[in-house]
Amino acid sequence: MLKLTKAKRTSHRRLRGMLLGAAMGAAGLLGMTSHPARAADNGAYAGNITYWFWGESDIPGIDKWMTGRVAAYEKLHPDVKINVVPQSTDTLIGAFRLAAQSKSGPDIDSQWATLPTLTPYWNGAAVPISDYVPSSETANWVDTNENTVGGKIIAMPIYLIGVPLVWNKALFKQAGLDPNTPPKTWSDFLADCAALKSHGITPLGMGNSDGYFGAWMFAIYLKQELNSLGELKDAVGNTGSFKLAQLDTLLQNMYGMMQNLMAKGYVNTDVASLNLNQGWELFPQKKVAMSFTTDGNVLTWEKAVGADNIGVAMPPIWGSGKLAPTYDVTQSSDEFITTWSKDKAADAAFLTWLHIPDNLASLYQATGAFPADKRFDVSTIKDPLAKQMFEMDTKNTSIWLENYIPPEVDNNADIPAGQVITSKSGGPEDAVKIWNRVIKQWRVQQIPEYMQFKKWASNG
Amino acid sequence: MRERRRLWPYGFVLPAIVALAAAFVYPLIEVIRFSFYSGSLGNLIYVGTANYDGLWQDPVFVGSLLNNIKLLATVPIMTILALIIALVLNAQIRGWRQYRAIVFLPYILPATAIGLTFSFLLAENGVLNTQLRDWHLGFLAQDWLGSATHVVPTIGSVIIWQQLGFGVVVFAAALLAVPQELVEAARIDGATGWQIQWSILLPQIRRVIEFFMIVEAITVLSAIFTYVYVLTKGGPADSSSVMEYYIFNNGFDNGAIGLASAAVDVLLLLASVLIVTYLRLRARSADAGR
Repeated sequence: MLKLTKAKRTSHRRLRGMLLGAAMGAAGLLGMTSHPARAADNGAYAGNITYWFWGESDIPGIDKWMTGRVAAYEKLHPDVKINVVPQSTDTLIGAFRLAAQSKSGPDIDSQWATLPTLTPYWNGAAVPISDYVPSSETANWVDTNENTVGGKIIAMPIYLIGVPLVWNKALFKQAGLDPNTPPKTWSDFLADCAALKSHGITPLGMGNSDGYFGAWMFAIYLKQELNSLGELKDAVGNTGSFKLAQLDTLLQNMYGMMQNLMAKGYVNTDVASLNLNQGWELFPQKKVAMSFTTDGNVLTWEKAVGADNIGVAMPPIWGSGKLAPTYDVTQSSDEFITTWSKDKAADAAFLTWLHIPDNLASLYQATGAFPADKRFDVSTIKDPLAKQMFEMDTKNTSIWLENYIPPEVDNNADIPAGQVITSKSGGPEDAVKIWNRVIKQWRVQQIPEYMQFKKWASNG
Repeated sequence: MRERRRLWPYGFVLPAIVALAAAFVYPLIEVIRFSFYSGSLGNLIYVGTANYDGLWQDPVFVGSLLNNIKLLATVPIMTILALIIALVLNAQIRGWRQYRAIVFLPYILPATAIGLTFSFLLAENGVLNTQLRDWHLGFLAQDWLGSATHVVPTIGSVIIWQQLGFGVVVFAAALLAVPQELVEAARIDGATGWQIQWSILLPQIRRVIEFFMIVEAITVLSAIFTYVYVLTKGGPADSSSVMEYYIFNNGFDNGAIGLASAAVDVLLLLASVLIVTYLRLRARSADAGR
């Protein structure tokens, strides 16, 4: 590897700055297609941009990265002031819904992919970003299909986040298991759990006081029972041949599997009183042998348990639907421009600028998360574990199923239904009843949203 | 001329009436209006009484209402505890002022801090259960916040712990205001300590006790959102949801403004019943005293 002296590094920095400026100009020009008059102003936008940004709880370090990028952008465009307001996970959807009702608040907002992003668009709170960014630019963005509707891209991705199974090789060895062979099938997984349990090791560490373990089981494992996303859309929207009663059966199977894991003691005993983050902490503390987590966490935990003691793999396959072999990746934080923003082209120019190669590189360096852009220089990924996760994230067809249910159904059905199982307050049939009731309630409570959903579902 | 004289005083109160109407009456009318619509602001569809029907068919709403009612049980418990402590402090035992300050301390702590602290203390492997197991009392250890059975009593206990100090201070102040002559006269007549407490002091502060109970009942009905939000977010599986949390979840998180407004109307009705009860009690005791 080439090592740079301090002087060389400085000159490289200068060169990089010049390239940055040049790229900026190009990005500015790219962002002006719908406002040709702007092409002559050298990208010198004037005004304030309020940006409600979410990402820190997903990939620690991104808030700091964003602050740095904003400072750099403001330096390049002294007339632009960007006020980044970090958002919390708990209020991400609610805070923007409230802002949208008064048509005030951020110029740019972050939401999770697909329905959390499409719903504001349907409600008239967001404009398609593809109206302000040319297709030559959006063609570089990864997984835009998550936020595409009617041929328009609604939001811009920043990074990709995969959800692998992570295992502690030392604990596997301690239980007499092959430390280099992760469970691939569900029977492998159960056999590994049994071996670990018999050696006094808690097999799986998760947390569900916030309902996210249940939501993740839905995202990973209900998907494995489906033959297509259309089945879920049809069942929720009552739009096709796949009926809600059929979804109920699949949900019952999935919650039955989850209940079985709980009954056999394969999940940490305090799963009901820990939130997802607290449950994850058991892994780097070496108190559990496996967990479902994010790419970013794996890289952090690698430092805690040692590179030789950690392995990642796709979650073991439990379901028999056609989607079972797909992986679980999402764009997670998706950036869109609000309807009431005064200068949408300026918003688009800033967002587009976040995708210039230098910014993609600095995002990876600062957070370890993989930028959602084909221009990202993959040769900068040196860590073998990171390389493996990048390959899993990009080589497989990926679906994060939670993105395909309306936020209200996610909040009122997905979250509590899993808690029924982990708190042992009911069985799979009780969990399914919640889903059934909430979906029907949503169709009545959110009539305009439901109509849009039906249209979207009908279009496949 | 006479007419003008009768009307002009109203001019002075007009700004206050307008301010009150803007702050209370207008939002109230809007909340009632929204309860007959579906969708979100700017995209509302009239649905008649469907939201009210939906409320009673929604087990989460019914459960939330029942939880509020269950939590009302904390009111007599904290009243009795606060009275006992206030009576003990009223005996002016050594250091009573310090004890009063200590008991009052939780009341001035922010509910968010209390919620976060208790969520660590009461977790399945939290401080309380770890201590119980260390003392070989593991059979008492429960998943206080993660079990649907225990979560509401646990939240109730946290509410009592925090609100107790308010009762103690209110009752202690009322007891200090009881004329000493009454106590002395009772003593001269041979009343025991218990008789003085039960037959002299408590009747003297009856109206303060009534006030405290009504205020706490209203608090438990409509001001315990923070405890639920920080401790459990209504979980597990909505088992600790209360009406305020139900309204927040539907109105803000889900944007179901109609359903949330219908729930607000029900809550308002219940709080009004309590307020009217309090006012009638006051009126009756005032009549009795006349």
